[in-house]
Amino acid sequence: MHEAVYEVFARKERGEPLRHIGYIDAIDDALARVYAWKTYDEERWFEMCVVPRSSIIPVNRTDGPFAAAAPREERP
Amino acid sequence: MSGGTVETAADLPPEAREALRRLVIALADAKRLMGIRYSDWLLGAPSIETGIAASSMAQDEWGHARLLYAMLKAFDMDPVQVEHERPSDEYCSPDALDRPFEDWAEVVAGCVVIDGAISACLRSFAGGSYEPARSRVPKMLAEEEFHWDMAAAWYHRLANASEEARTLLRDATLEMLPSTLAWMAPDDSAANVLSDAGLTDSPGAIRSSFEAVVGPVLAELEVDLSTAEARSEGWDASRGRGPGGPDDDAIERARGDRNRMLFVE
Repeated sequence: MHEAVYEVFARKERGEPLRHIGYIDAIDDALARVYAWKTYDEERWFEMCVVPRSSIIPVNRTDGPFAAAAPREERP
Repeated sequence: MSGGTVETAADLPPEAREALRRLVIALADAKRLMGIRYSDWLLGAPSIETGIAASSMAQDEWGHARLLYAMLKAFDMDPVQVEHERPSDEYCSPDALDRPFEDWAEVVAGCVVIDGAISACLRSFAGGSYEPARSRVPKMLAEEEFHWDMAAAWYHRLANASEEARTLLRDATLEMLPSTLAWMAPDDSAANVLSDAGLTDSPGAIRSSFEAVVGPVLAELEVDLSTAEARSEGWDASRGRGPGGPDDDAIERARGDRNRMLFVE
């Protein structure tokens, strides 16, 4: 089974900036939600989101994990 | 359901009070054993993330068990004695939790069938007239939503994987289902007393609630929940389950036998 990398974002309070708190590996979106919630449970998060790393479009870097995961046509 | 709420078990007639006591112990024991079975997979799950999720789910289950055991004070019972001193044959947990899960397919089937059945009971309890359940159980159910999401996602994944995975998952499902249906919606007088008193839904309504949630997931393996039969041979009405009880290792862990001399509660 192929696992994808999902980036995890969360905020503790309403109005607070959403910040990147880590990443998880999962075989689909449904499990990514569960793994993120259960892995990064050290805070009482107001909001948490997961994003497939491959959906992130790098803006100014041509190296690093986001550039490597971006679809080929999106790579700078 | 009746109109008013029941603030304390002392307000109930003896028969309903005894039926409610059985339900609370059954739910507490189910949570404790479910937590033990999840905890076996902190290591050895298919990925690190899955092991972390199993760890978190074990913690959830043990927290829920602690809250439910504490509710036994309303029945003049000592939760410490109930948690730490009972033998296996006094446990009221589902029969399908009597032994460890042998492989990941059994974990996934258990998460869907057994944890799903426990949640169906809790939904019924939270919607009944017993105020301590109305106030405490909804938070448990909110935490259980993530257990269900994980269960359903893994069931779907294995149901669409290899023929071997499908066979293991289907066999585990069919093995657990009959006794779990009997535990969840008992066909006995205590269950009917609870529903007549408005403390829970009727056994039939609990089963319908279970079928509505779990049925579509099991259908992926052509398991028809609507025709599945409960198995209640050797039914022990005092415990609301079949004969026997959890294995010795689980009971030692549940009671904390190995560290009893350090017990400070």
